Amino acid sequence: MLKVAIVGCGKIADAHASQIQRIEACELVGVCDRELLLARQLYERFPVKAYFNDVAQLLTEARPDVVHITTPPQSHFELAMLCLEWGCHIYVEKPFTLFAEDAGKIIARAQAKNLKVTVGHDAQFSPATRRMRKLVASGYLGDRVVQIESYYCYELGRAGYASALLGDKNHWVRKLPGKLLQNVISHGVARIAEFLSSDAPQVIAHGFTSPLLKSMGEDELIDELRVIIAEEEGAAGYFTFSSQMRPPLHELRVYGTENGLVLDPDQETLIKIRGTRFKSYLEKFAPPAIFAGQNLHNLASNLRAFLANDFHMTAGMKFLIEAFYNSIRQDAPVPIPYREILLTARVMDAIFAQLDRQLQPARVE
Amino acid sequence: MSPSNSLTGSAESNPPLSSRKLVIAASERVLITGATGFIGSRVVQALFRFGFRDLVCLARSTSDRSRLDAVERPADARLKVVTGNLLSPKDCAAAAAGAAAIIHLAAGGSDKSYPDAFMNCVITTRNLLEAGLQAGCLRRFVNISSFAVYSNREKQGRLLDESSPMESRPELRDAYCFAKIKQDELVADYGRRGGFSHVIVRPGSVYGPGKGGIPSRIGIDTFGLFLHLGGGNRIPFTYVDNCAEAIVLAGLSAGVEGEVFNVVDDDLPSSSKFLRLYKRRVKDFSSVYMPHWASYIFCWAWERYSDWSEGQLPPVFNRRRWHALWKSSRYSNEKLKTRVGWSPTVATPEGLDRYFESCRKRDALA
Repeated sequence: MLKVAIVGCGKIADAHASQIQRIEACELVGVCDRELLLARQLYERFPVKAYFNDVAQLLTEARPDVVHITTPPQSHFELAMLCLEWGCHIYVEKPFTLFAEDAGKIIARAQAKNLKVTVGHDAQFSPATRRMRKLVASGYLGDRVVQIESYYCYELGRAGYASALLGDKNHWVRKLPGKLLQNVISHGVARIAEFLSSDAPQVIAHGFTSPLLKSMGEDELIDELRVIIAEEEGAAGYFTFSSQMRPPLHELRVYGTENGLVLDPDQETLIKIRGTRFKSYLEKFAPPAIFAGQNLHNLASNLRAFLANDFHMTAGMKFLIEAFYNSIRQDAPVPIPYREILLTARVMDAIFAQLDRQLQPARVE
Repeated sequence: MSPSNSLTGSAESNPPLSSRKLVIAASERVLITGATGFIGSRVVQALFRFGFRDLVCLARSTSDRSRLDAVERPADARLKVVTGNLLSPKDCAAAAAGAAAIIHLAAGGSDKSYPDAFMNCVITTRNLLEAGLQAGCLRRFVNISSFAVYSNREKQGRLLDESSPMESRPELRDAYCFAKIKQDELVADYGRRGGFSHVIVRPGSVYGPGKGGIPSRIGIDTFGLFLHLGGGNRIPFTYVDNCAEAIVLAGLSAGVEGEVFNVVDDDLPSSSKFLRLYKRRVKDFSSVYMPHWASYIFCWAWERYSDWSEGQLPPVFNRRRWHALWKSSRYSNEKLKTRVGWSPTVATPEGLDRYFESCRKRDALA
């Protein structure tokens, strides 16, 4: 039985607790929050053995094997290092750390202590994303990836979190080096990082505050971001974050030397794009028919998964947690390679550095 | 011994009120949270009408203050707005300084996210209670709760009043119910510890000009079609001005320490009657009546599926919610009338007239 603890009992901790209780051979031995009342409400609603407001006490008394760190990102590094010192494997919510340097230190420490680490990029494991990964592994894209386009949009007007952020000048998100962007873009950046072969791509970022936010008196938050992430001889990635674009896409387009793929994680659809063309007028009629067939296949696949009770909104999180626990039990590779975690952190560092300085394109080191 | 004051019926529309003992004097400071909101702004107005002259309101920097700005202030009154956030103990301390009474109406957060609702109901209330204790001059804490905390699953005769039990498993109903119960428990706990007394006021379904939409007790349009679920049920309406006066009277009266008061008006309309009037007076739309047995089966089936599927569909419809919202119940305002002498100053037909008129104007502008 794997003993699991959660540190940080806010909104995302609920999702973790919900998924953990669906996984076999593990138990929640403790939850912890600096605010004891918050820890207690989680304890009261889930099968948890104890609650704490002190991490050291949690580690001492509950003795967890794995700790999920679901606090605001400012505390990730310190908590991660503490949990590693206590011999715990760690699942750290996104963004992994405030700076790439800290990410490197955590991973180095974990490797030195033979412990495992993962980051909460659970969107990378949604059902359609897993189908995409299988196709890519089968060589569908060709011998290499040429172009990656990742959209990660955000409806500022709708989410409760966004209204809390906009209404509170002291909100913890505002205190992050990359502010709003740092808290949300890692899912979209990680999608690109997965396909890059270089550890030091060139990053060119342009960000600004949307007219809508400006009209609300907001001049601190950047909610529009465009980034080019380019390798010298490898793939090029375009990343778009927008609060204004409609529809608010979370789409990924990957093109290889032979074919392309379009992933829509919102609709859980995956569309294959043929690399070759039909002859003459067939190009006008055959592809739409093929796309219609693929969309029907996606519909059938989603319905099948729903009827089989395997289509939860947080299916990606459950898969990632389960895969991480299995990697611990079997001493197998972690579900998200450390290289990908570090590269995501480096690209984010480079983006925020440019937005801060508004300087010329910088190369990540 | 706490100073007291006589409240002599200065509310314009309230019938002459007999003298009553209050826990604070009219010249003493009252802090109101949620004062920019639908009910809060009317509470501020009611306090002024009843003669209170030193009011402090805590409001977020992004709050729309138009309702509060519209409150008529007596020339000798002081109304100070402290900008801040209840999640900040420092902001709470600044707002609570010098307050002899706190009327806590602010409640935010999602009805789906438990931590969100909990933070915005319980943590905020704890901060305010601590700030009141630290300030040292607080004598009464008035918590504005909700009918959402009640369960009448086992209640004989289906009378829902202050003696009805609280929901025993609020975590199984919804986030709002869970958070409001925890909030009430916290307030009662602080009240027991001493330092100040508390009163809990639980309004029913508050309506009036400025509030849009049809309460979910009547029906829902979740599935793109309005499902009328209330049927012949009485809806526990209270007109916003009646509710505001009840909050002030129940909240600040002496001799009701630690007590709970429900607020509903007289002559409550049935769900069917309200819907019929709404369609006639505001706008017509299609609705389908779902009998009580059908809505109960629907909630039961949804709950079972949610449980079986481990939350593939979250349990937003469940039997506990059905009992709270759509079970036929009777309501009483007897305690409010007999203990603090409240009576609704706006009769239900007149309140509904005003409400429908405001809805009609709002829709015309939209």
